[in-house]
Amino acid sequence: MAHIIFDQKQIELEDGQSVLSVLLNQDYAIPNSCQAGVCQSCLMQAVEGEIPEAAQVGLKDTLKAQGYFLACCCQPEETLHVVAANETQLRSSAIVMEHERLGTDILRLRLQPPANFKYRAGQYINIWKTENLARSYSLASVSHLDDTLELHIRHVADGQVSSWLHNEIKPGDSLQIQEASGDCFYVPENAQDKMLLAGTGTGLAPLIGIARDAISQGYTGEIHLIHGVRQEQDLYLHHTLQEMASQHSQFYYYANVLESASESESESENISLEQQVLNLVAEPAQCKAYLCGDANIVNTLKKKLFLSGMAMTDIYSDAFLISTAK
Amino acid sequence: MSSLYERIGGEAAVEQAVGIFYRKVLLDDRVNEFFDGVDMDQQINKQKGFLTMAFGGPNNYTGKDMREGHKHLVARGLNDSHVDAIVELLGETLQELGVAAQDIQEVANIANSVRGDVLNK
Repeated sequence: MAHIIFDQKQIELEDGQSVLSVLLNQDYAIPNSCQAGVCQSCLMQAVEGEIPEAAQVGLKDTLKAQGYFLACCCQPEETLHVVAANETQLRSSAIVMEHERLGTDILRLRLQPPANFKYRAGQYINIWKTENLARSYSLASVSHLDDTLELHIRHVADGQVSSWLHNEIKPGDSLQIQEASGDCFYVPENAQDKMLLAGTGTGLAPLIGIARDAISQGYTGEIHLIHGVRQEQDLYLHHTLQEMASQHSQFYYYANVLESASESESESENISLEQQVLNLVAEPAQCKAYLCGDANIVNTLKKKLFLSGMAMTDIYSDAFLISTAK
Repeated sequence: MSSLYERIGGEAAVEQAVGIFYRKVLLDDRVNEFFDGVDMDQQINKQKGFLTMAFGGPNNYTGKDMREGHKHLVARGLNDSHVDAIVELLGETLQELGVAAQDIQEVANIANSVRGDVLNK
């Protein structure tokens, strides 16, 4: 049976059990959040033994080379000697520059990043509330255009991190953040393709970053941004985006409100987010899509766009996961 | 004499076939329920591996992998009729790509050779 060595103890793993779950069962406080291999909060380091490939998916080469792995996705076949991640190496401080309400429950945070902080528009970072508690938030800023990191944070009911960010954090405070990760970002190729950016809720944040990044890098194709929200009041940055559309003839913005209050609207305005996006696909081979936000909607759209004829490699997505960690 | 994999078109044919094949699978009500909720990017990579094997190309498939990878689906009712459907869709895909009937038969034979492992028989 496979086992790990941790804290000078040999601990057995049951069949199919991850390093994270066995350590949590033993009451070790291992940082974690999504438990799905996405947020990278549960990074640990292996000092001896073979790291399963699946435990390093999505990690930067520099982290892989240092033996970092995701504890939630790590099911070693043989003995693996692991240690807690070196926090000082992984985390750094960012200063809150702006703390502003954008909509009913959306907070915009602007942070002064640590020196030499590198990211691509559309990636996400972790904010650590305590040593072991983190949540991931997407970046709405563009590194070569903006001095600060911009994040849109929805207040989740009972959310431990979002409540704290909304209600307690103020300008001047210092936050612990982790380096950016994620593969949903703008890649400057086929710049004449039609770009479809579709998202729900704060899935808008990475999409704005990707659009601004593309435009600033000379993208020539049309860029269509569709923001899906439940109710009218959930829209945010509505005027900013309308303004952006009037400034750039290639940029189109659509607000898709699921429960539209006004009865007078024509039926064509009451179509679903999915349908609205699909209607924009004319030549699937000349389209690329970025999908961010609610996991169900993102995955459904991904499937429908693929079935419409788009290549899987032209569909980038970031399905937001609600943390199940306690 | 060239190998089956070379005749079909090698890696380039796998790339071309996987999009067509996966769309057929997702649209086919006989089998698509088994693909609900799976990560599509991961799935497309797995299917490339499967197609490479079925086309007679280089692969690392083992009977154990096949068994482990499908165990949970067998528990959900995966049976011979579903394997038949997959082999059929594979044939249609190759037909669309202009592969000769004889070679399609050979691919079907390879796919059928792992049936026992897939169904954990």
